[in-house]
Amino acid sequence: MDAEERIQAASKFLLQSPPGEINDVLNGDEAARVPGADSEEEDDRFWDPRSRTSFRFDHIALEASEPEPIEPEEEAEPFRIALEIAALTYLSAHFHGGVTSVFSTQGNPHRFTIQVVANKYNPSNFWSGRWRSEYIVNLQERKLEGKILLNVHYYEQGNVQLSTTHAVSIELPPTISSSNASASASKILAVIESEESKYQASLNEAYQDMGDKTFKGLRRALPMTRAKLDWDRVLGYKIGAELTANKGAFGSS
Amino acid sequence: MADLVDSMLDLMRRLPPTHVEANVAALVGMCPDYADDLLGSVDQPLKVMVDRATGREYLACDYNRDGESYRSPWSNEYDPPLDDGTIPSPKIRKLEITANEAFDTYREMYYEGGVSSVFLWDLEDGGFAGVVLLKKSLNPSSPSEPSGSWDSIHVFETAERGRQAHYKLTSTIMLSMMHHPAKGKKGDEKVEATRDGDVTLSGSMTRQTEQDHSLQEQTSHITNIGRMIEDMEIKMRNLLQEVYFGKTRDVVFDLRSLDDLEKARRQRELQKELVGFIKR
Repeated sequence: MDAEERIQAASKFLLQSPPGEINDVLNGDEAARVPGADSEEEDDRFWDPRSRTSFRFDHIALEASEPEPIEPEEEAEPFRIALEIAALTYLSAHFHGGVTSVFSTQGNPHRFTIQVVANKYNPSNFWSGRWRSEYIVNLQERKLEGKILLNVHYYEQGNVQLSTTHAVSIELPPTISSSNASASASKILAVIESEESKYQASLNEAYQDMGDKTFKGLRRALPMTRAKLDWDRVLGYKIGAELTANKGAFGSS
Repeated sequence: MADLVDSMLDLMRRLPPTHVEANVAALVGMCPDYADDLLGSVDQPLKVMVDRATGREYLACDYNRDGESYRSPWSNEYDPPLDDGTIPSPKIRKLEITANEAFDTYREMYYEGGVSSVFLWDLEDGGFAGVVLLKKSLNPSSPSEPSGSWDSIHVFETAERGRQAHYKLTSTIMLSMMHHPAKGKKGDEKVEATRDGDVTLSGSMTRQTEQDHSLQEQTSHITNIGRMIEDMEIKMRNLLQEVYFGKTRDVVFDLRSLDDLEKARRQRELQKELVGFIKR
């Protein structure tokens, strides 16, 4: 494996790391002698629309630096702010901690991105979890397209992971328009709230289904006889079968 | 270089169990010198092979591997064939044959399908060790049918002490389940919507136990180990059920609440106010 392939393999490991455990995975990578990933990239800049600031982000140290003020997209900003207010209300109603951001799209004042991330890390009880959802609002096409991704890692004397994907495409009602920003934004977040609650409830059905059909179908809790095996008889059966076979052989001679 | 192997094992403990084969292959590519250490320590899903002599299915893992070949418990032959492949001594092979028959019955009783294999090997001090493998897969013919796999790997070592034998058992169960909800629209909705997605629960758990049991004859080893493995699988199945269906679900509902938290907060405030009001 050359250096390039090593970096690629290590990047794959990092992208697969469970919530809050990226540093542990990174340590494993370093032990496997992967060259440092801190290359001289110039454009590691991000922006926060709420504080109207752009900054440089160091992914290894997880630190922001070099803040600079940025001007928002003038035409899109009122609707973006309305979505942001509605998203923050939604976040505090349903998430225990978590972050939401709303971004406008450069060159398209009718398109917005809403993101929600909620993490829980509990290393002393060996688990971590992450809820991520992202929605693209397109006022012109009257479409809301979203995805919800869930990861849970439980690692006490083992490694058990829940991983889910959910993609949804919803037609927005005609009452939604940028001229009616506040009410439209609330309506959009109400649609998201309903979709996410419905999805969360459907997970219960998935758990039920996997427990009733898959888990039981793979291995029974007890044999049909509802009793554990009689191991002496398990060996005896075989010996018995052999005796019968031998007897048959003797009988025919 | 124990540190390096420990780091690699820690990494494997964190990466998604569904990608264990690809990730082990990547690590072996990065550190080929430690391939044997890694392959011997990371449990990977069992491969199903077909015995060329008997046509019967058996399971392949690191314990019946010699070079690139795997030994079948039914014919005792390696595939691809090896002239000098490691095989157990005649005494241990005899026990291995009986053990394979016994665990085949066990497999049928608990798994109602699937494949089992038992491999034994002689130890230098005169005792023996072995591995009992069980695998069952549900392969759906349509996305709405259940899909999943169960792999049991029970590694044991035994030492005879007169009429007693001491057993050390390390059991790993790899379990993965996939759920694919019915696609498309729901009739009761006011808005037009399409949906698609899946739910995967996967992973492995490992437990150990050490026990002493009495020994009347050589086949007592099989009844002793059989009971130990049966008890262990019953215990671990309960544990898996708790972690897969209980713990991971609790974390999801810890991340997001179905009920409106704001409303609950306001209600609590109101209650506090009322209590204060009454006290006054």
